[in-house]
Amino acid sequence: MDSRLMDALVEPVPAVDAVAWRFALEGAKTKLAGLAVRRAGATRFRITDHEVRTALTTESDDPGRGEPFAWTARTARRSIGVAAVRLLAGRAARSPLEAVRARLAESSRWVGEGSSSATQLDRWVDGLTPAGRAAVGAEAVTWATRLWCALDWSSFSSPPEIGRDHWWDSPHSALLALRGRADVRTDHAHLVVLSGPRRGSVRAELALVTLVESLRLRGDGGPGRVVGWWPDSGHLVWVEPEPAALTLGAEAVELALGGAGASLRSAA
Amino acid sequence: MVLVAPRPLLRPAPPGDAPADAGTGAEVLALLRGDAAARPRFDPGLAGGLRAWLEDAAYDVVATRGEHAPPLFLGPRQLLGSHDELSGHDPGADDRLDPSRLVHTLLRQLVHTGEIHDPLGDALDALRAAGNEHDVRRIESLGPAARTALAETLARHARNLTALVPRFAPGWMPRTNDRVAIPLAGGRIVLHGMFDLVVGLPRPRTASLCALGLSTGGPWAVARRTLHYLSLLETLRSGTPPFRLALLESVSGRYGVEDVREEHLRAIASHLTAWLAQDPAAHGSPPHG
Repeated sequence: MDSRLMDALVEPVPAVDAVAWRFALEGAKTKLAGLAVRRAGATRFRITDHEVRTALTTESDDPGRGEPFAWTARTARRSIGVAAVRLLAGRAARSPLEAVRARLAESSRWVGEGSSSATQLDRWVDGLTPAGRAAVGAEAVTWATRLWCALDWSSFSSPPEIGRDHWWDSPHSALLALRGRADVRTDHAHLVVLSGPRRGSVRAELALVTLVESLRLRGDGGPGRVVGWWPDSGHLVWVEPEPAALTLGAEAVELALGGAGASLRSAA
Repeated sequence: MVLVAPRPLLRPAPPGDAPADAGTGAEVLALLRGDAAARPRFDPGLAGGLRAWLEDAAYDVVATRGEHAPPLFLGPRQLLGSHDELSGHDPGADDRLDPSRLVHTLLRQLVHTGEIHDPLGDALDALRAAGNEHDVRRIESLGPAARTALAETLARHARNLTALVPRFAPGWMPRTNDRVAIPLAGGRIVLHGMFDLVVGLPRPRTASLCALGLSTGGPWAVARRTLHYLSLLETLRSGTPPFRLALLESVSGRYGVEDVREEHLRAIASHLTAWLAQDPAAHGSPPHG
């Protein structure tokens, strides 16, 4: 268990000035509305942490970023890994190895039965040889074990939500959507498992999660702290739910859409 | 820091290629398990002291290279002369076909499924799943003689691995290719490496992990130092090193098991600081002279 990580997830978030928060949220909504109107008629555009990272880094910072997506053991590890951790948290498996095996078997069962639950990933996994599947499983087991062992799962006041991405769809354009990716969500925080080198864009990537949560909120309450964690180094970086995070998130979206955001680019 | 120091074991390599004196997974497992009641606890200040030592050396390098020089990524290949994939992918490595990479895929398969059916075929399938089409094409384009030789080489490694690698119960949490990357000097220098196999549950302030390294034929001493290097990185990452290490040599079937001691960590940290203090030209030139 990583005590620093647990502290970041369970410690109360600092109080926020409600007026400043509302002002920043309205400002972010206005900016997003403007972006949606400006892009009307364009193809669908979805902004994720990947787009933010790509907009804020160079090829040397993030090698291979321009390569087209393909399923590999590495690109599949998070999807399979979070499913495995979900099985562990629900006591449906006793170890990451068992959980990953169960998830891979599920892929074959869904594909074999023609289930509507079967995704492109399930079909790719199902088409692998046993040795290929072992390679994919090994990668996911390592990912899942690191996450599973880093947290004290019994200390959360309510069961965390594991591996669910949250989307916000613009009310101004059906073509604009933002995705907030978090691997574990607790009452007070959102944990994002990071990979790759430390980079200047990471706060903007995490601010996107804050922005999406804030836009989705109904009624009172804040979006919680967003904690980024590199298992490779144990390094943490977090974004508190402050007005500045909303501004940063909206600027990151603008930049990812090819807009201004020049100050953000130079800051990164 | 007090660490249990039972009997470091190194079985002698047999002459020639015959793995007549090869070890078994049961032996390795028994030595890794050791005395379960004697898991060492140790000085919680050790990791901070080692980090401070390395940070000092790293900032001296940054002062020489310049604040705006690109980050320096250093792994066992540069720091220790390791030529084995024990250290994981090294961007600075040359592009030659390395059977070591294939043997490492077989280790992962063995850990996760307990069996290897067709060493070359299985390794190729694993490379395909990893998206490593470049290596797959290169192997598939080999002539019949070279391909047969590669298959025989891999079969020998696979036989030794099958005999030597313990079959860990899932509760041991076996995980392969556990990458460690420790930024120093605010991320301007990154020490990295990869454990081939780690077992055990991490516990705060207690060394509770065992790490296994695979050597596919490089010098034993370098492979052993690489494990010490990785133990240092783990100490910096989590505050505690693995408490026991096993080095498995797949070409011969020999192995060694030893406890991690404070002097191992100090020795490797001393080596790193000396390496960092060497001629700045060896660290790469700053981008603008």
